Amino acid sequence: MTARAWQVPQEVYRALAGVSAAAKKALDPTLTELVMVRASQLNHCAFCLDMHLDLARDHGETEGRLDLVAAWHDAGDRFSERERAALALTEGITVLTDGFVPDELYEQAAKHFDETQLAHLIAAITAINSWNRLMVARRTAPGETEWHS
Amino acid sequence: MTTNGNTVGENDEGQDGKEAPYAAEQAPRLHWAKAAPEVYKAMVKLEAAAGRGVDPVIHELVKIRASQLNHCAFCLDMHTKDALAAGESVERIVQLSAWEESQHFYTAKELAAIELTEAITVLTDGFVPDEVYAKAAAQFDATELGHLIAAITVINAWNRFGVTTRMTPGHYTPGMYK
Repeated sequence: MTARAWQVPQEVYRALAGVSAAAKKALDPTLTELVMVRASQLNHCAFCLDMHLDLARDHGETEGRLDLVAAWHDAGDRFSERERAALALTEGITVLTDGFVPDELYEQAAKHFDETQLAHLIAAITAINSWNRLMVARRTAPGETEWHS
Repeated sequence: MTTNGNTVGENDEGQDGKEAPYAAEQAPRLHWAKAAPEVYKAMVKLEAAAGRGVDPVIHELVKIRASQLNHCAFCLDMHTKDALAAGESVERIVQLSAWEESQHFYTAKELAAIELTEAITVLTDGFVPDEVYAKAAAQFDATELGHLIAAITVINAWNRFGVTTRMTPGHYTPGMYK
């Protein structure tokens, strides 16, 4: 399958990269990449999964944990409580059309992240959701190089 | 039947005790723009970049439909008021959540944009179907389509901030953020 004919406008691409960069600034890169992978799984973004699995490995993430991200909930102690709170929040914010972000889930995240970190985590989850939308709508293939420029 | 003159935020004990009071307003969970001001600034830039080149009438319809699907109360308050202030009709706003049965309220171009909005918003249920994409591509040229898809993506982002931090609806006045 080839990519669809439209392009992400250059100024949109840059502005969204700005949102991602601002969001990531306050977050640990290993945690950020877990969130990116999980959101991209839920949104079925092949390009984004390929990219963020690579970035996760670059930051030292193990294959064993990456294999289990999709089933983190029952993955025992493979993920820390803080990571589990972030992954649960990722799911709540990503699957928004099925409901709201439940109190319990939000409060769990607020226990592990202070207000500054939490605002940035929410922004990172929102940013990857935005990239997922653009790349799925364009049907961008994994590894398509123009998007790395 | 009694006339209820209450508006959100001005509700008291009702009229002569005959009407139950509205539920209490919920406080936001987090003032995210204060906690992450550089993210907020970047979002405002993104909004401007995406919206350039999108017809303003279509843009508001897209914003309202995405906000309905994502259940963003704050965004609905803002964008229905903005649409009305820009001259949009009440019936086109009301019919938007049932547009499949009220297609004669909208142009083919608007319908293609609304359908594309739904496909890009409800992403966790599947991909963006070829037929939905093809309808949009028949109505918008590649440049317009780039901005339309960006605009759909950006309202989805605002919806996520709004719902997650539980931004409070009811206090928006058109133009207050301009």
